[in-house]
Amino acid sequence: MDMDMARDALVQEARELLDAMEAALLQIEASGADSEAINAIFRAAHTIKGSAGLFAFNRIVSFTHIVESVLDRVRTGKLPIDAPMLSLLLNCGDYIAQLVDAIAARVEEVEPDPARRAELEEQLNQLLGEPAQTHAAPAPAPVASAIPAAQTSVVEDPVNSPYWHLSLRFLPDVLRMGLDPLSFLQYLGNVGTLLNLRTLPEGLPPLAQLDPEQAYLGFELDLQSEEDRAAIDGVFDFIRDDASIVILSPHAPMHEYRTLLALRPDPQMLAEVLAQGTLTADEAARALLPPEETVESVPVNAPVVMTETAAKAPAARQGEDKKGGYEQKFIKVEVSKLDLLIDLVGELVIAGAGASLIANRRKDSQFEEAVQSIAELVEHIRDAALNLRMVPIGEVFQRFPRVVRDISHELGKEIDLVVTGADTELDKSMVERLSDPLMHIVRNAMDHGIEATEARLAAGKPAAGTLRLNAFHESGSIVIEVSDDGRGLNKARILAKAIERGLVTAEQSLAEHEVFRLIFEAGFSTAEQVTNLSGRGVGMDVVKKNIESLRGEVEMLSTEGAGTTVRIRLPLTLAIIDGFQVMVNESIFVIPLDLVIECIDLAGLDGHHDIVKLRGEPLPFIRLRELFELPRLEHGRESLVVVQFGQQRAGLVVDRLLGEFQAVIKPLGELFSRIKSISGSTILGDGKVALILDVANLVHQAVQQQAAPQNSKAAGSLASPQKSNG
Amino acid sequence: MTSRTGSTAAAADAVQYLTFSLDGELFAVPIEHIREIIEFGGLTAVPLTPQFLRGVINLRGAVVPVVDLGARFGRSGTTIGRRTCIVILEVEAAERMLPVGILVDTVNEVLTTDRSQIEPRPPFGARIRADFMSGMLSQGERFVIVLDVGQVLSVEEMGGLIGLAVEEHAA
Repeated sequence: MDMDMARDALVQEARELLDAMEAALLQIEASGADSEAINAIFRAAHTIKGSAGLFAFNRIVSFTHIVESVLDRVRTGKLPIDAPMLSLLLNCGDYIAQLVDAIAARVEEVEPDPARRAELEEQLNQLLGEPAQTHAAPAPAPVASAIPAAQTSVVEDPVNSPYWHLSLRFLPDVLRMGLDPLSFLQYLGNVGTLLNLRTLPEGLPPLAQLDPEQAYLGFELDLQSEEDRAAIDGVFDFIRDDASIVILSPHAPMHEYRTLLALRPDPQMLAEVLAQGTLTADEAARALLPPEETVESVPVNAPVVMTETAAKAPAARQGEDKKGGYEQKFIKVEVSKLDLLIDLVGELVIAGAGASLIANRRKDSQFEEAVQSIAELVEHIRDAALNLRMVPIGEVFQRFPRVVRDISHELGKEIDLVVTGADTELDKSMVERLSDPLMHIVRNAMDHGIEATEARLAAGKPAAGTLRLNAFHESGSIVIEVSDDGRGLNKARILAKAIERGLVTAEQSLAEHEVFRLIFEAGFSTAEQVTNLSGRGVGMDVVKKNIESLRGEVEMLSTEGAGTTVRIRLPLTLAIIDGFQVMVNESIFVIPLDLVIECIDLAGLDGHHDIVKLRGEPLPFIRLRELFELPRLEHGRESLVVVQFGQQRAGLVVDRLLGEFQAVIKPLGELFSRIKSISGSTILGDGKVALILDVANLVHQAVQQQAAPQNSKAAGSLASPQKSNG
Repeated sequence: MTSRTGSTAAAADAVQYLTFSLDGELFAVPIEHIREIIEFGGLTAVPLTPQFLRGVINLRGAVVPVVDLGARFGRSGTTIGRRTCIVILEVEAAERMLPVGILVDTVNEVLTTDRSQIEPRPPFGARIRADFMSGMLSQGERFVIVLDVGQVLSVEEMGGLIGLAVEEHAA
């Protein structure tokens, strides 16, 4: 049903608003109160409440209402926005998020954490100067239960009306469900006397389109009653889920009317209706105004305000809506639709390659030209399609200000977070899978990297530690760095631990980066005591595995005493790459083009021990023919493809260079998951499958062989150049 | 309506097999495992893998592994002939169906038989691993070995063997 979609939209909207609210709160914490940020928070809470009200998600409405009341006072300067207030509001945001999660999980009937809610409400009510209510968790009355104001003697800015006010709107389908709004009105007569009943034909279509089975009318009415709120509210028990019902108590505070107006589609019209009985003209006018403008001067020049309001109120609302959402225009598209598009573009690329192959064989220049221009368009379409899935990494980064704040409080450390490059884009599917590893690295850096304040001061560093999140593009990859200015890695300690764990032997001499790499070994953890934050069994080896499953690489850089940087390097996308085809024996392999530095004729180079000298620099290389145990071909001109991954270079010796093409990556599946030198496959223009080389792995292999020449494999291949010469 | 129910009950006992020959011997695979049969061609070898994995093919955009059953049974590898086919089967792997191709010398026929006609596998005598067989069918003078597809094409076992072979080369 459509309600489900609407509900999902509500959940998504609420989550976005909560993110915006959190960002604004953290901004205030970082750089002081600013009215724009406070307004943003208020707007977020207000909009969430309004949308939830439309669905009668009463748990959210009632909770958010109190938050909003507090925010309203903050906005008007009646309450200060200080550290405890920020913490409270952040916690409230978290609780609203829990309520939203409950809606998403279709369990909104259950209070996620009644104790937590009671605790937060107590704190909020204290700020409002109202007695804490012991909130009966089950069956909270809509809006009502959250408005204790009426029962207390101190009511801020009460209206004149001595009657209850009820505002009723029904879902169009209620009649079909066998619920007649009229019968509820009649029944309401049992609890009191109905006054000022106004029928609102807001939703009424032209007569020709009128569906007699739909409920279009809304009602505004006053009720003179001695009964309490629960009794009045009880009248609507059966229809509550299919209606939006707002009940305001006698002499309700003005802001409740304001909230009511905001909840309804046409506040202007509703204010006019209310002015015909419930409220005085003056009150109705003030209800339309945002609270800060309702200073005492209003009654004095009431007529002026009236005319102003008429023009201003709707405009102000529009502006609000715009600011509450994103400035850019977005269309929400299901991920599966995008995936299908990418798959189809992949097929198009393959088919296109097939066509150009035929065109080349035909030697028909017109045909070739036509195919060429199609190929160019296909390339554009490919890029545009892939671009659809690109999102700024800020989506991941935006979680961290809050994380860093909370963890630094928990650890009693002062830590500043500096985020740069948040607009660097990468594939959506990677963003999702990057979140957990990054979280782990950040926690680690804060827990183990950054020292306690005293230690920092003793080391002559500023008391506050700095954690940096940075992202940038580099040669077809995205690089993400998490750096801290903490104590750095202790090489000796890591080595000792690794020897103790049997990861290396004491005799092995390791370069610095090799020592650091040990941290990523399974079961390695140098934290002496297990803290709440990190060191709970999940180690950096999991981080490494996660990153590698994204065809990425992670490395550690550190200067002892000055800090540590964890650098993650990832491909931009997992779907299509520019490939470079090479031939070894009769097999075609594909090397990701981004990683190819240059190609050289091997014959002109002086090669020994699987190392050539390239412009004075030694370059380790691998003969793919030998690696893959393919028979040697007779025509002896081999080429060297120089590849680079991260900071390391290596050469790959191949028989022929075939040139560039677009490779749609096809996974090889479980059967081949243990073949490290091959990362996947692709389909060539002639329909055959070609294997994609895992360059990162090959480079490591080459570099390791170079570093350990006593290795039997290196010794074995040492003989081969001589054999081929002979 | 009742007669229909009767016929479906009868059909439940009727089972269909695809029979094919491999090095002169007849084998059968339950028809529900078969996805399609294609001509042999366009095979790409994957380096360092054991002999039973002949390579991978492009099946309308999906990359599908092709297994040499002869080699998988521990015999000599299949020689490619004029009538060599690739039979694409669906194999269960980690909760989803994975297409896997097998190389066969010739595809013979689709055999409909009654479930009761299937004899239990002999404890010895056949030249292949006992767990590869789910039973025997006698066809006149000849026996047809009914293969247990889950065992013969066990992704877990083959993946392990491929991993072992690769790591052996690397050592």
